[in-house]
Amino acid sequence: MEEIKALELKNVSYAYGRIPALREITLSVDKGPIGLLGPNGAGKSTLLRLLLGFLSLQKGEARVMGYDVAQETRRVRQIVGYMPEDESYIPGIDGVTLTALLGELAGMPRQEAMKRAHDVLFYVGLGESRYRLVDTYSKGMRQRLKLAQALVHDPQLLLLDEPTSGLDPQGREEILALIKDIAAHGVQVLVSSHILPDIEETCQEVIILHQGRLAAQGNLQQLKQLDFSLYELKLKGEAEGFLAKLQQQGCRLEKMEEGFWRLYLPSQLSARVIFKLAVEEKVQIRHFVRSQSRLEDLFAQVVGEEE
Amino acid sequence: MTVREKGYTHWEGELKESRWVWFPLTRLGIKMAFQKRFFKLFYFSTFLPALIFLAGIYISERLEDFRFMLRGSPAFLKITPNYFKIYLSNSLFLFILVLVMIFVGGGLIADDLRFNALQLYFARPLRKIDYVIGKMATLSFFILLLSLVPGVLFILFKLLFAGNLVFLRHYPWLPLAVVGYSLVLTLFFAAYALALSALSRNNRYASLMIFGVYFISDIIFNIFYQNFHHPYLVLLSLKLNLQQVAAGLFGLSPPYAVPWSLSLGVLLGLVFLAFVILQKRIRSVEVVK
Repeated sequence: MEEIKALELKNVSYAYGRIPALREITLSVDKGPIGLLGPNGAGKSTLLRLLLGFLSLQKGEARVMGYDVAQETRRVRQIVGYMPEDESYIPGIDGVTLTALLGELAGMPRQEAMKRAHDVLFYVGLGESRYRLVDTYSKGMRQRLKLAQALVHDPQLLLLDEPTSGLDPQGREEILALIKDIAAHGVQVLVSSHILPDIEETCQEVIILHQGRLAAQGNLQQLKQLDFSLYELKLKGEAEGFLAKLQQQGCRLEKMEEGFWRLYLPSQLSARVIFKLAVEEKVQIRHFVRSQSRLEDLFAQVVGEEE
Repeated sequence: MTVREKGYTHWEGELKESRWVWFPLTRLGIKMAFQKRFFKLFYFSTFLPALIFLAGIYISERLEDFRFMLRGSPAFLKITPNYFKIYLSNSLFLFILVLVMIFVGGGLIADDLRFNALQLYFARPLRKIDYVIGKMATLSFFILLLSLVPGVLFILFKLLFAGNLVFLRHYPWLPLAVVGYSLVLTLFFAAYALALSALSRNNRYASLMIFGVYFISDIIFNIFYQNFHHPYLVLLSLKLNLQQVAAGLFGLSPPYAVPWSLSLGVLLGLVFLAFVILQKRIRSVEVVK
């Protein structure tokens, strides 16, 4: 039997009036946790809106857990848990009432929703505060409450928009631990975040959007290894010509502190090219270290290529 | 082992789609209204006019016993459709409904807009129409409890006190008029309050608008009427339009020489406008910023 894909997008485009937000996005993700990355205006929020059916698809097809977003919007919303980025709550009620209400709206029987609300509030660490008015919660507590309400109906896919936003380091660690635990228990998780270490810590797959286009997508480890090699260099001599030739070869350079350079070498090029060009341009390489690429490097490389 | 220690647990039940998906919103709205300070006291005191009118019905059937109180002028206790019209459309009653709308309706959508609750609701299988129905049903509960329930009880108690069905034989259409006018009141006030609540993210401003628009319409009517004395100016006043419709539905002459159907048209037009506002303000694109 064919395995259901968490996300499947074919030629998805969306524009706000004349301003394109997503352009011809085609991607497919089998399993999470999935990281959704991109600078501001990349189209991350628009993609989440489309997946939830908040926005109607203008072009293309989108499926969430096998369900067509355009045709089966209600079913999609039933199986998806959504944790929004901005502060959202219903004022004047306590945490357990809010969580149970949203469970009931998802289709749970009332008593089951209430029981489950207690469980998920304990799970996210709000057990002691579940009878307090949500208006009196701190920002960190509201962040946990948003996670609890997204989990109450036991979704198949969890969409988390900036889940650690506004949390202190300990709170951040706890939320990331919860996300990992949720993913380990078979819930597909899509984390949209601008905090790259959060993605690196929780996700195996990554989708990078830039200017509405799919800049990169795939397994995080493979992407980090295959697309480029990262080196740190320190040069002596007139380096302009050398650097220009490296760029002509498709390398990307970033100037660091104290005369160091970070070099993204495309996978099809060998490191020998660097030394060959250095000899040609009479430049001394005083420091040459291969770096372990981090998600920031991948992100910078991908976004840099697009620009 | 606590829930947290044993890790994430799945829920074993099955999610169901319901036609009554809006009902939890209604229940929450009613519960939250009664949690407001002084609301219980205020709301239960609004039943006082109904009790007085009910007492009037009782006295009308026991005129001999109460003759010493009436001092020979029992005409005002003659129970006719006019008695029902007076209860359901007098200025005090309509003012009470406006106050109920301020208490209950002011923050009904404004708070959801202010605290970004819409995205929580619409991330569930809840359509915009379900959301609006859920909110309208909250307001309808409070309005119908003050209009339809006393209206029907008046008829029942009139029959009970009389011990026969003569009253109903004289006015067989009266129950329909009570139901019809209660529905007009409910539809108008619920749509009116929700639309104004949706126009602001601040429930105080929304409440001010609910209060202000109702009374300003009446003030504008009075200013123009005093200058021009044209009966059609009645269409400017929300209160007078409601009173015109009440008179029409209860088979009485409207207070102003204007067909009551025109007033009904104005009210329905405003309800339509309210739905347009709701459609515009409760937009999916505003769900996520």
